[in-house]
Amino acid sequence: MRTKLTLSTPAAALGRILDQLDRELIEASDEDILEAARDLGMNPMMKGSAAFLGLQVPAMANFADFFDSEALRSVQRKAARVKPEKSIERKDSADD
Amino acid sequence: MPQIPQLADHRVLRPAEVALALNIISRMDFLRLKAIARLHARGLPPDVSWDDLLQEAFTRAIVGSRRKPQNVPMVTFLAGIMRSLRAEHWRRVRGGPASRETLRIDHQRDLSRAAELRDPASDLEQALLAREQIEAIERLFAGDSVALGILAGLAEGRSAAQIRAAMSISKTDYDSARKRMRRTLLREGLTCAPN
Repeated sequence: MRTKLTLSTPAAALGRILDQLDRELIEASDEDILEAARDLGMNPMMKGSAAFLGLQVPAMANFADFFDSEALRSVQRKAARVKPEKSIERKDSADD
Repeated sequence: MPQIPQLADHRVLRPAEVALALNIISRMDFLRLKAIARLHARGLPPDVSWDDLLQEAFTRAIVGSRRKPQNVPMVTFLAGIMRSLRAEHWRRVRGGPASRETLRIDHQRDLSRAAELRDPASDLEQALLAREQIEAIERLFAGDSVALGILAGLAEGRSAAQIRAAMSISKTDYDSARKRMRRTLLREGLTCAPN
């Protein structure tokens, strides 16, 4: 059998692959999941495990998800108070 | 009187969390569904994430727009919703029957003709995306010739027996490869890495 996929309709082929592979995951036992997690150094039994990232905490978490607006404003105020260091002037700048 | 922390006022549970809180699914099923959502998201454009797919499936189950048959396990049911959401997405993009939903109030329009109009660019986009994703899935099993052979057979719509016969492998070898594939898919599914 060919090991490289050469089908005329890639979308249909992908659909068939995904529909079959999702059955593998549906049938995966809890032990399978724990073993896969262990491979990744995760422990799903632990509260706050990285395995749950994206499920209980959005995968693309925003700063505002962790800090309430007042805390965020306070950080921004502090940052604004810090004066930027004097910029370094290059003596051999190409613009000279 | 004790004050509820300000943060709690803004914290809204997402549909998947509601399902977990209501004991509709177990924590292990939660992870199983994450892996399934990440798999099905491969069939969607990059701007539709696995998270969108999963939360939408939970939403439909919770609000009852999709009813779970009594004898079907919850994970199987939710996986089925994700599968149909994937198909529905492409039908809508192409302007197929699913897009009629938004046109239903316009009685003056001939919907039977409108449904036949297809956007050829969407077909091309889907084909390119599909090719990319098939290659990405193949890379997951790189170096495992039996797994790649099984994948090729699945793509052609062959049954397990047909794949075994075509590859001349025993049921034991086939089942071992499937186990390896399952482990790889779970490993990939438990992360949040881009597909």
